[in-house]
Amino acid sequence: MALSKKSAQAVNTYNRRQVLGLLAGGVACACCGAVHANKLAYDLAATEIASGTWAVHGRTEYFTLENGGNIVNIAFIEVPDGVVVIDTGPSRRYGEALLALIEKTIPGKPVLRVYNTHHHPDHFLGNQVFENSVIAAPQKVIDNIIAEGDGFTDNMYRLVGDWMRGTRTTAPGTALEAEFEEIGGRRFSLYYLSGHTSADLVIRDDETGVVFSGDLAFFNRAPTTPHADIGVWQESLTTIASLDKELILPGHGLHDKAGDSLLQTGDYLDWLRQAMTDAASRGLTMNEAMSLPIPPRFKSLDVVETEYQRSVVHLYLAFEDELMPLIEMK
Amino acid sequence: MRQGKLSSSLRNGCVVLLLSVSSMVSAYELPADPLNSVMWENMAKRFFPGEIVIDQRVIVRAPHDAEDQMQVPITVDATQLENVVEIVALADLNPIPHILTLHPVRAQPFVGFRVKLEQSTPIRVGVRTSDGVWHVNGVNVGAAGGGCTAPALAHGNNDWYKTLGQTRAITRRESLDLARLSLRMRHPMDTGLAAGIPVFYMSKVEVKSADGIALANLELFEPISENPTLTIKPLVSDGITELLVYARDTEGNEFEFPLVVPATVDN
Repeated sequence: MALSKKSAQAVNTYNRRQVLGLLAGGVACACCGAVHANKLAYDLAATEIASGTWAVHGRTEYFTLENGGNIVNIAFIEVPDGVVVIDTGPSRRYGEALLALIEKTIPGKPVLRVYNTHHHPDHFLGNQVFENSVIAAPQKVIDNIIAEGDGFTDNMYRLVGDWMRGTRTTAPGTALEAEFEEIGGRRFSLYYLSGHTSADLVIRDDETGVVFSGDLAFFNRAPTTPHADIGVWQESLTTIASLDKELILPGHGLHDKAGDSLLQTGDYLDWLRQAMTDAASRGLTMNEAMSLPIPPRFKSLDVVETEYQRSVVHLYLAFEDELMPLIEMK
Repeated sequence: MRQGKLSSSLRNGCVVLLLSVSSMVSAYELPADPLNSVMWENMAKRFFPGEIVIDQRVIVRAPHDAEDQMQVPITVDATQLENVVEIVALADLNPIPHILTLHPVRAQPFVGFRVKLEQSTPIRVGVRTSDGVWHVNGVNVGAAGGGCTAPALAHGNNDWYKTLGQTRAITRRESLDLARLSLRMRHPMDTGLAAGIPVFYMSKVEVKSADGIALANLELFEPISENPTLTIKPLVSDGITELLVYARDTEGNEFEFPLVVPATVDN
């Protein structure tokens, strides 16, 4: 009797746990995208965009507590002796999910090279899960990561919260300066451009002709400008357009065969420059400049309202300095 | 006994007196704060003495989230109100909440400025009309930490004082009798809260017509961003074609310059 009583109790406990588990699952489901869901997990998927080349497309959104910063395009490439990775995502947790996805897609091959295209947080904060010496970027990108990385990391904790747990700024261990390098039996051409930031690395896989533009190109998602120099950025777009290539993977948005991402990014930057010029030369306040109408052709770009408002804050001061005449004192 | 009686009646007198004082203070009921700030009662008492109404006609434009907490743009437009005497802008949760006061003597009740934010805070604006009523409205702005306690960028440069007060400005005539004046003056606007840097800020900007008629008087305070960038809209009827700007900082440095108002309307 005593025995059966005990086992009955055990069964009951088991059931209660099951029920609790179901409840927890139900709760997480019910408020889909619940900010404080029990377990935060990036649901990463790889799309083969060219032979042996996978893109992990991020959402075309701004950082939120819900998306955990998964708004960026990451890529990995199978080369004869291993794997090459382009950018590492917004957090340590993302980096771990990325590594797992690579291992699932290309089992048993080592990561031989990780490129960081530039120092924005969604592109490099997954670095710490990779061996430091294989992570490479131009010296200026490394300098920018060292100078601004901790500030970015703090801000990311504020913007996306617990997804960032355990994330530390990790600068690349290898500085790039060559025009190309052979990695695991594949040649990659390296282009040292700028304009989106003070240092933007563009990588071409010379075998497949895929160009990884970093954030010099956006596609159907409004460009971001916190460190932008619009004139220099336009020159870089011209350089990318002139490259021999089969496909572009922009930093944000779908991959693009025809080069439309370059045209769209250039068109948007032209408009931005014109809008800032007009507003600053009329002495508009930043808030007034922020409420200028966005042309219909850009209305379909994801998060264009948010990004335009942010851009006004990033760019307006410089336009004012240029367009407001100096006054002579009495 | 007698003494006791006296003191007790004194006490009663005091009570009566206190009651009447407190009833004077609370003659106007404090409206509920649409921004739900813990500082509302304090801000209202300190900065908006008298009757307060929450008024949507006071338009406060600010970004929902501060992209750069050292330069958060704010534009106040109270042009739907008449007889505006004074505009007071506050950041409730800044260590120094008072941002600026504008007396639009002969100007539209409109002002654009940029502010340093120490943390997420309500931006609150009180507009006092000539009947003494404060029309209050505002918005919440999200921000990361540290705007007020970080040193000005100027201090990265050893000879920043050489360009102190250097001014850029645009003056336009928006209609026959209305000008728009946007100006930026180089000044570190030190709050006194960054380690080792004493308080030092542009505290006064006055705009007059060439013949000395006051148009707009601004008092600036510590939270105004480095290199204050201000936009005001002076009334320029009566053939005003030139404005005089006078500015002074907390160390007594004075800056004075004329600005031409173009004859033609450009909008």
